[in-house]
Amino acid sequence: MARQIYQAIVDGILVGGVYALMAVGLTLIFGVLDIINIAQGVLVILGAYLSYQLSVRLHLDLFLGLLITVPVMFVIGVVIQWAFIRRLRGRERTSMTLLVSYAVALIIEGILYEIYGPNAKQLNASYVQSSVHVFGFYLSYIYLYGFALAVAIVVGIYALLYRSRFGRSVRATMQDETAARLIGIDVNRVAAVTFGVGVAVTAAGGMMFGATNAFNPNSGYDLISRLLAIIILGGLGSIGGALAASVFMLTVESLVSIWSPEWAIVVFYAALVVVLVIRPTGFFGRQPVRAQ
Amino acid sequence: MRPHLPWLSKNCLALSAAAVLSAGAVAACSSSGSSSSGATGTSSSPSSGKPIVVGASLSLTGDFSADGKAFQRGYELWAADVNSKGGLLGRQVQLKILNDNSQPTQASTNYQTLFSSTKVDLAFGPFSSLLTTPSASVAARYGYALIEGAGGAPSVFSSPANQSAHNVFDVSLPIEDNLIPFVNWVASLPPSQRPKTAAYPMADDPFADPPVQLAQSKLQALGVKTVYSKIFPAENASYKPAADQVAATGAQAVLLGSTDVPTVAAFMQAFQQQHYNPKMFVCAAGPDQGASFTSAVGKGNATGVMVPNGWYPGYANPDSQKMVQEYLAKYGGSPSDINADVAEAYAVGQVAAQAVTATKGTDNAKIITYLHSGVTISTVQGPVKFDEQGKNGSAAAFTFQWQQNGTAFKQVLPASAAGSVPIINPKPNWTS
Amino acid sequence: MTGRVTSTVSRQRAAAILGLVVLAVVAIVFPLLFPSPVVTNYAVYALIFVAVVSAWNMFSGFSGYISLGHAVFFGSGAYAVGIAAKDWHITGVGVFALLPLAAAVGAAIAVPFGLVALRVRRHTFIVITIAVFFIFQLMAYNLNSFTGGTIGMSAPFLPWSPTSFNDHFYYITLGCAVIAIVMAALIRPSRFGLQLRAIRDDEDRARGLGVQAMRVKLTAFVLSATITGLVGGVWFLYLTQVLPPSGFDPLFDLSLVLMAFLGGLGTISGPIIGALIIEPGQLYLTIKYTNGYLSEILLGALFLVIVLFVPRGLVPTGGEWVRRLRTRGRPAVTPVQAQAQAPARAEASDAPAKGAKR
Repeated sequence: MARQIYQAIVDGILVGGVYALMAVGLTLIFGVLDIINIAQGVLVILGAYLSYQLSVRLHLDLFLGLLITVPVMFVIGVVIQWAFIRRLRGRERTSMTLLVSYAVALIIEGILYEIYGPNAKQLNASYVQSSVHVFGFYLSYIYLYGFALAVAIVVGIYALLYRSRFGRSVRATMQDETAARLIGIDVNRVAAVTFGVGVAVTAAGGMMFGATNAFNPNSGYDLISRLLAIIILGGLGSIGGALAASVFMLTVESLVSIWSPEWAIVVFYAALVVVLVIRPTGFFGRQPVRAQ
Repeated sequence: MRPHLPWLSKNCLALSAAAVLSAGAVAACSSSGSSSSGATGTSSSPSSGKPIVVGASLSLTGDFSADGKAFQRGYELWAADVNSKGGLLGRQVQLKILNDNSQPTQASTNYQTLFSSTKVDLAFGPFSSLLTTPSASVAARYGYALIEGAGGAPSVFSSPANQSAHNVFDVSLPIEDNLIPFVNWVASLPPSQRPKTAAYPMADDPFADPPVQLAQSKLQALGVKTVYSKIFPAENASYKPAADQVAATGAQAVLLGSTDVPTVAAFMQAFQQQHYNPKMFVCAAGPDQGASFTSAVGKGNATGVMVPNGWYPGYANPDSQKMVQEYLAKYGGSPSDINADVAEAYAVGQVAAQAVTATKGTDNAKIITYLHSGVTISTVQGPVKFDEQGKNGSAAAFTFQWQQNGTAFKQVLPASAAGSVPIINPKPNWTS
Repeated sequence: MTGRVTSTVSRQRAAAILGLVVLAVVAIVFPLLFPSPVVTNYAVYALIFVAVVSAWNMFSGFSGYISLGHAVFFGSGAYAVGIAAKDWHITGVGVFALLPLAAAVGAAIAVPFGLVALRVRRHTFIVITIAVFFIFQLMAYNLNSFTGGTIGMSAPFLPWSPTSFNDHFYYITLGCAVIAIVMAALIRPSRFGLQLRAIRDDEDRARGLGVQAMRVKLTAFVLSATITGLVGGVWFLYLTQVLPPSGFDPLFDLSLVLMAFLGGLGTISGPIIGALIIEPGQLYLTIKYTNGYLSEILLGALFLVIVLFVPRGLVPTGGEWVRRLRTRGRPAVTPVQAQAQAPARAEASDAPAKGAKR
């Protein structure tokens, strides 16, 4: 029994790492651009397919392939923001961004279906199935690498946000867009680059997701709802919060699934509701400067 | 002056115009929608009498699209074969297939269109029990028989529409009995060779659970200890925790209630990571999807995995062999790539053909009576005989296993049945 | 001048009433004009969405709180009817008596749901509605003995002919739609509606002005949920089946947003037009582009076009075009110098008189 609990905790932490990779981009976009990007789920899958393409056609190692997929996804993100999201303003902005991101998700999903068909794919590598024996548990390499990658990316984005000039612009825009504009920050550029970064990170998330799950173009929907729950729990705009919330949620789910896998997911969402009732801004969220 | 419904004064004209336009558009849509699109007619030469139009709603997109497309191929192969032999009662068969995007609402709408607008003569079923139930309701209302091959869950037969109109006919094996050959085989082993423990992880699905649950109760009666029996949500983002727990039990046999390849693949991957290799591994569905399965899990790993089914490419039945050849000629690949759905769909056509020929027409009421009369029809899946609920009581249940390093999909159970080869037991270890 | 204004107003009023009457007549005789069940099938689904989108708009459009959880009420209403019919052994036409139950269930769920969810703002609200939605969907899956699990619930078989089946449901859904529209029409110009819109524009300021925000929001939420639950029950009886993924369909909520948006969020006729255009359109497109995923790509592209080029919705934009058409050729501002000079001259002539008097 104890062994099962430890296994569940370990599983939760490792899988949480994978989700953190996917959630970090989403919370960054949310925090800076103040939009709900429903397309994030499909973009993760797109990242997975890109990694798949590189791995199958060019036989590139999955992690090496990231050197290509990350910049590509960055560009895709910038293009999406520039073409569609930039123009959305006004009172109905929330519903507009919902619909636009949903539309983008539909288009990407349709294109992926056309190219790859509905059959499930999975990313393979020598280390995907193998594991290391530690303290009587088997920890699979891919999850360990993935967790390390998640931490590295979180640290990297922190450095970007808190140690660079660009990061200062981003944080200023997060706090108050009008004021940021007034002091000369090119808010449009910040928005575009941030969206790009948010999507670029999903390339890594997609690769990890694809290596640990079979996926097809439809896999994005289930993902996005979990990701949304995670970032709200962690606090909108909080990178560390995304990591903490991912690990927390997945560990709770993993523990509950010892007794009942069916109810584990319900607990996932119920935990979100409970936490929000107690603390409406999530773990590490900021109070909004001016109430929305 | 009190503001009086300002929205109305500005937009009343727009509103009424829009309403009338929409009404007109809806009417235009529905009348023109039937004449264009989606027709995959296979009528070649004009023959005596007008063609027999067969309508079906299939999941060409959406969750069930892989199976929906396989079904489409099956229906089309059947229609082509029938037409090349001169058609039914001298009339060419024309297929009219509409896409339901794996949605019950769309399936229901499609059948309404087929019955009312296209006025099809016969109706073939959609894919999946979940779509079959509402489709059967529509068919019952219009007085059509619904001959199908993919709606075998108990809920289909017990639905109010079927209880009232008795119009559903499932040509495939009722899913509950899927794993009985496996259970019988375990029972036939000497007690020392039977698995001591068994795990039963099940996806929450009316297709996957009944056979596993039935097998569990029977195996328990044989003395096989249940160490894990849980239902997990069918759309689970990560199967890892459940799979890890199964691995932790070290069960000697695993009966996985799966509905698709991704579930099986996820479990197999977790087992590998945990260095856990069950001696017997049988899945409700997934390994029967041919190349889809082996490419997802790796050919070497597929060896020894078992799955129940009512059909496989090597089935020693002349009709089946001919169908396999035609499929390969048209779509290429190897026999193991053929999805069992193709045979299910083909069998649907064969049953319909015999009913039409026997009743000398397409009167659905007569067809329903004929099919319930206890007649046995032979199809590519074996014999078909319907009980009063529309279930095929004569369906053969086979169990298949991947052998020869994942390149051959062989019938292994019932061991005494014609065409069975020796079963690989225990399952070899994972390769990689 | 006053005489002219009154006659314009009463002319507008007459036109409005005439428009409504025409609409009502068309709606009532529709099944007689188009007796084909295929057409009435489209109409039934379209009306279902007209009712639900109007109800959704009543809350989300007016208050600005975008709810992606209305499927909770829809599915709950559907399940309520199904479970009641099964447990109380109701068959045949008697099932329609269960519809008020569906509405009541919708309302009952909305109260705790609203109390929890309406405490947070905008984005968090949206995600809470999504979370609650998933909780309900998962409960529908898990509570096997209660909800039937993945098999769902089946509605009793109604032995009507295809045409009369569709016609009966046409009128029922028409009734639901009328209820929703009338409710929205009554709310919007009322004080309650004004309070809702004040909340949308600036909640803190509204609170400061004395608006009981929570009470107002909750009331609108519950009203909206009641109708949605009712329609859910009707939908269940029409399709004769409810399953966890179809009763609680995530794309359902997004469709609501799209339809309301297309027509014009916060208007009354907007949701109607949006639903009438999109629902039959979607059903039709799937039949027309039956192979491949082209329809999905097209749909996405269409949504993009709608949002980017008709951002305020068809009804406000259409209203603007109509106004532009009606006022073309006329200057935007009527010069008033002639009248202003007359009183000024009168005053000027008064003053000397007054001054002279002193």
